[in-house]
Amino acid sequence: MLGWGSLLTTYVRPGASHADLASAFEASPNPYLLLTPDLHIAEVNQAYVDVTGARRDDIIGAPLFQTFDAGPSADAPENVRQVKASLEKARDTRQRDHLAVVRFAIPRLADDGREVFDERIWSATHTPLMNAEGEVVYLLQHTMDITELSPTIRADEPTTALDALVGGAVLRRAQSVQEDNRRLEIERNRLVEMFMQAPGFVAVLSGPEHRFQMHNHAYTQLIGRQDIAGKSFREALPDLAQQGYFEMLDQVYQTGQAYEGREARVQLQRRPGAEPETVYLNFICQPIRDESGTVAGIFVQGYDVTETVRSVHIQKLMIDELNHRVKNTLATVQSIAIQTARAHADPATFAATFQSRILALSHTHDLLTRSHWEGADLQAMLSHETEPFGSSRISLNGPSTALPPATALSLGMIFHELATNAAKYGALSEADGRIFIDWTIDREAGRTLKLVWRESGGPKVSEPSKKGFGNRLIERNIRHDLAGTISLDYAPDGLIAELTVPLDRTPAE
Amino acid sequence: MTQPLNGRRVLVVEDESLVAMLLETILEDMECVPIGPASNIDEGEAMARDTEELDAALLDVNVAGRQVFPVAEVLKARGVPFVFSTGYGEGGLPEEWRGAVTIQKPFTEATIRDALMKAMGVAEV
Repeated sequence: MLGWGSLLTTYVRPGASHADLASAFEASPNPYLLLTPDLHIAEVNQAYVDVTGARRDDIIGAPLFQTFDAGPSADAPENVRQVKASLEKARDTRQRDHLAVVRFAIPRLADDGREVFDERIWSATHTPLMNAEGEVVYLLQHTMDITELSPTIRADEPTTALDALVGGAVLRRAQSVQEDNRRLEIERNRLVEMFMQAPGFVAVLSGPEHRFQMHNHAYTQLIGRQDIAGKSFREALPDLAQQGYFEMLDQVYQTGQAYEGREARVQLQRRPGAEPETVYLNFICQPIRDESGTVAGIFVQGYDVTETVRSVHIQKLMIDELNHRVKNTLATVQSIAIQTARAHADPATFAATFQSRILALSHTHDLLTRSHWEGADLQAMLSHETEPFGSSRISLNGPSTALPPATALSLGMIFHELATNAAKYGALSEADGRIFIDWTIDREAGRTLKLVWRESGGPKVSEPSKKGFGNRLIERNIRHDLAGTISLDYAPDGLIAELTVPLDRTPAE
Repeated sequence: MTQPLNGRRVLVVEDESLVAMLLETILEDMECVPIGPASNIDEGEAMARDTEELDAALLDVNVAGRQVFPVAEVLKARGVPFVFSTGYGEGGLPEEWRGAVTIQKPFTEATIRDALMKAMGVAEV
């Protein structure tokens, strides 16, 4: 058995006599219980033994609530919970905790040898005992049996006015204050919990320098730093200088007028040495007033809406880009229609020529769509334009090459015009004519496509006296749109077209 | 009947050759003399600066991914009137160029003639 003296060594002032203290506790008419931090019984005094009727040797070292479980009544679990909560609070907060009124039934052996429970009402004080390092080593329970003070044990039994005056009412009042405190504390903890776990960012700034008194997890996430408690807003977030937010807080503090920011742009340096990041915030800064109505601080809360602002911006860009492309495509089609009409007075040939040009454009779009507008395959484009004439007459020879969208759209039209000319005037206008198309990719200073279109076996050709729309389109497109070169050699054996097109041009070049 | 814009020299800045060819055809039909076309901003600026006789310009707003406003600055400094052509309409122009004469793609000969005349302050005959 441990004596009180040895248990108290750790916390009493030097100079006190342990033996005296120990005997004082032992002799005290008040019941005392000493618990380990895990709520096992470390020691009890004689008064405790007397009031509980337990045998000392049976209970030392045992878990408290296994030894005393408040009996079989329906209230017992709640009674146990109250005592346990008070002990744990004293232990965890290292502050003394009072339990003004608590029912707790105590077992007793009846005359016939059976165990019965006596309903008792107690008032308890739980005091944490700490060592030199400030760690809680014991919890001291001071209990008073106040059953006799209470007019009745059961609240539903009638009470006399006198009882009410001298005891019952006071007790009930004490009980009700205790209940209120408990409720308020739960409420407060719930609010703090909500505050800390809120998905939006929250901070409480105190005083004219806006010192961080409280802030939640989302707030530290937003600003990318942890150590801001107690710092002034200007100290904690120096990267916000020149952005107007310091002045805004000063104004809220001085005028007591709330400030609301919508999609407010903030440049934040979230990591040391990193580039400032742009975020967009919806927030409100509300003045907090003290009892006299003076502004004492500012409550800041809000949401990071950067993603929303960005996606709206991207959507607008995409709609603008789509509009631009659609209008440009319509202008292109308009141009093809007007120029085709000038060369074809007959509506039937106009329709056929116009339609084939539009279909060539459309097919390149299909190829680009299939590649998610990353690049159209050169060989597929050439095959499509030449396959109506029979694959045996066309020789395609070159590496697999993905053409960027703008290049593909231009080359698609160019190949269409070359094939149409070949069918009308060149190699494909005769049964034995053939076309050899060879290409390579030159990788000096960015990729350059070098393509040779050579016709043979057709009628003798010579340079046309007047350039039609097709020819003008070929030359202009290569030079103007693709910054490439083209030479058209009307050799007697057949046309030789040589073209070079840079493939790695950025659109701005 | 003589066209009201007969003989006027008009710079064309347009990155798509088919659209440029359409503009040239339309300008030629109106008896104008097309200059260019310039297919990018640098070329457009050089032409706007170095072409000695220039009466007007047709400027595509979005030229190969860049905006045409540097060319417009050069023309404005020279006092050469110009017309913006765009897929977006006047609402797509930044604040400082609002109010400039603007045509929307696709366009007709009549809209181009009217816009040029408005920009140049030429009265209908």
